[in-house]
Amino acid sequence: MRALDWVIIAIYLVYVLVDGVRRAKGTREIEGYFLAHRSLPWWAVGLSVMATQLSAITLIGTTGQGATDGLRFVQFYFGLPLAMVLLGVTLVPFLHGARVFTAYEYLERRFDARTRSLTSFLFLVVRGMSCGTIIAAPAVVFSAIFGWSLLWSVALMGIPTVIYTMIGGVQAVTWVDVKQMGLIVFALIAVMVTLLVQLPIAPDHALALAGAAGRLRAFDFSFDLRNDFTFWSGLIGGTFLMLSYFGTDQSQVQRYITAKSVDQARSSLLMSAYWKIPLQALVLLTGVLVFVFFVFQRPPLLFNPAQEQAVRAAEPSRYGVLDERYRTALQARETAARAVAVARARGDRAASVAGLEAFRAREADVGAVRAEGLALARRVTGTSARDVNYVMPYFVLHFLPVGLTGLFVAAVLAAAMSAAAGELSSLATVTVIDFYQRWIRPEASDAHYLLVSKAATGFWGLFACVVATFAATLGSLIVVVNRFGSFFYGSILGVFLLAMIPRARATGAFVGLIAGMAAVAAVNFATPSVSWLWHNVIGAVTVVAVGLVLSARTIAPR
Amino acid sequence: MSGIPQPDPGSRLFRRTLLRVMAVQVATLLFLWLLQTRYTR
Repeated sequence: MRALDWVIIAIYLVYVLVDGVRRAKGTREIEGYFLAHRSLPWWAVGLSVMATQLSAITLIGTTGQGATDGLRFVQFYFGLPLAMVLLGVTLVPFLHGARVFTAYEYLERRFDARTRSLTSFLFLVVRGMSCGTIIAAPAVVFSAIFGWSLLWSVALMGIPTVIYTMIGGVQAVTWVDVKQMGLIVFALIAVMVTLLVQLPIAPDHALALAGAAGRLRAFDFSFDLRNDFTFWSGLIGGTFLMLSYFGTDQSQVQRYITAKSVDQARSSLLMSAYWKIPLQALVLLTGVLVFVFFVFQRPPLLFNPAQEQAVRAAEPSRYGVLDERYRTALQARETAARAVAVARARGDRAASVAGLEAFRAREADVGAVRAEGLALARRVTGTSARDVNYVMPYFVLHFLPVGLTGLFVAAVLAAAMSAAAGELSSLATVTVIDFYQRWIRPEASDAHYLLVSKAATGFWGLFACVVATFAATLGSLIVVVNRFGSFFYGSILGVFLLAMIPRARATGAFVGLIAGMAAVAAVNFATPSVSWLWHNVIGAVTVVAVGLVLSARTIAPR
Repeated sequence: MSGIPQPDPGSRLFRRTLLRVMAVQVATLLFLWLLQTRYTR
């Protein structure tokens, strides 16, 4: 990176900090701090919802996924627009109209304190850890690419985020999110344009190469429960996942209950649905173009520089042989690609078809050598050798023009910070409203709660940074926690669905919640090959079924 | 359920936004479908 890139990153960090802190005006009461006095416009809330959901891994991991695996990941989001519409006419009016601070507070009004406490506790455990992973994932990549220490990478993202979230509350989170979203989209479009300009062949020929390599397959209509990314798992499993996430997760619910009215709250959710699939398609297409770019520019055998160094040091001769074979395979692939471009430019259809066939075969050769390289790295380092998260950073650092590199790194920081800020604010809200105010100090002044809220934000920020710093050693624990998260998401959705059914009772909801999580755990352990996207469907359906059966047997009124 | 507001599905802003959302989704899916059918063999 050049000086101009560092200047751009520094300007971004200072601007975000100053802009966030100046939003502290008007947050002297707890309702202003957590809910912005329910005064925010729908479009700002909508952008904030999107920014909270879009993390740094979306920018660096999903683009890498586009480069290595193509467009099929976009199917994961097919259920999102449907979920947003369903939420807009069901849960959003209930939650916004109930004038609650947290989604779980509503559950006590409808059922009892047990259900509220269990759901909010599960939220704190999983979101607390996931907030750490949101910072950890880009920090690990930054430290490997730039050679920074992990602590410094975490501090660069974590400290400004904690400061503006702690001081400015949800107003700061929302308005900073709006600008961060703008920066992210601008950087993506700039990278896409740069790629198209730098490619030595016409975009139409580039897409033909990508298509021949299977990178443009966005739809898979097979009904395979083991496959994470099919049309049906995205549409059905994805709808339930998005209903759970946007309807019951406080980090999302808190965004739209800050809107001025029910109408604006559900319009803000639709705003998120507007751009989610197009934005994900843009991110993946950028990755696909990076794949085509590397057909004409030599990529490394291993994109993770730390892994490459380790393998080079441990097995120099084996690595040398593999690298040489890789170079030969890349040259053959490039020759085939250029032949396709020439044939297509001449309008020679037969030569073009034959050329694409040859390109596909040479691409398979490149893939086979890469797989051997990754297997060697896995054996030497003893860790997962998936280097999909390092493809985009390698391209950004080595091939983007000066200035644009800084802009993209600033966009990655923005994505990480906006996602972490939303989660910190929601973690503090649940801690104060669902635990401190509910169980420890039910009666206290607004100033006291505001002070505790800021302390809670600071605590969760520190917790997230500590988790992120030790992410490498906590790796397996974080996987377990994320897995645990998928156990209860659908089940919590089931409780909220029960809440909208008049004859559902408190005991039915509580026992149903536990039954739902147990059902998901049983399916997970009995048939681990079933994609986790279906867990949400299983959890929600079990809770509603068990809850309604038990409610029918309950004699006591709610 | 007393005291809890009932949903009001009909409003101009919501309906207008809903139409636009669906139009954007359909356009994006058509674009992706076109990419797949034109370039993937």
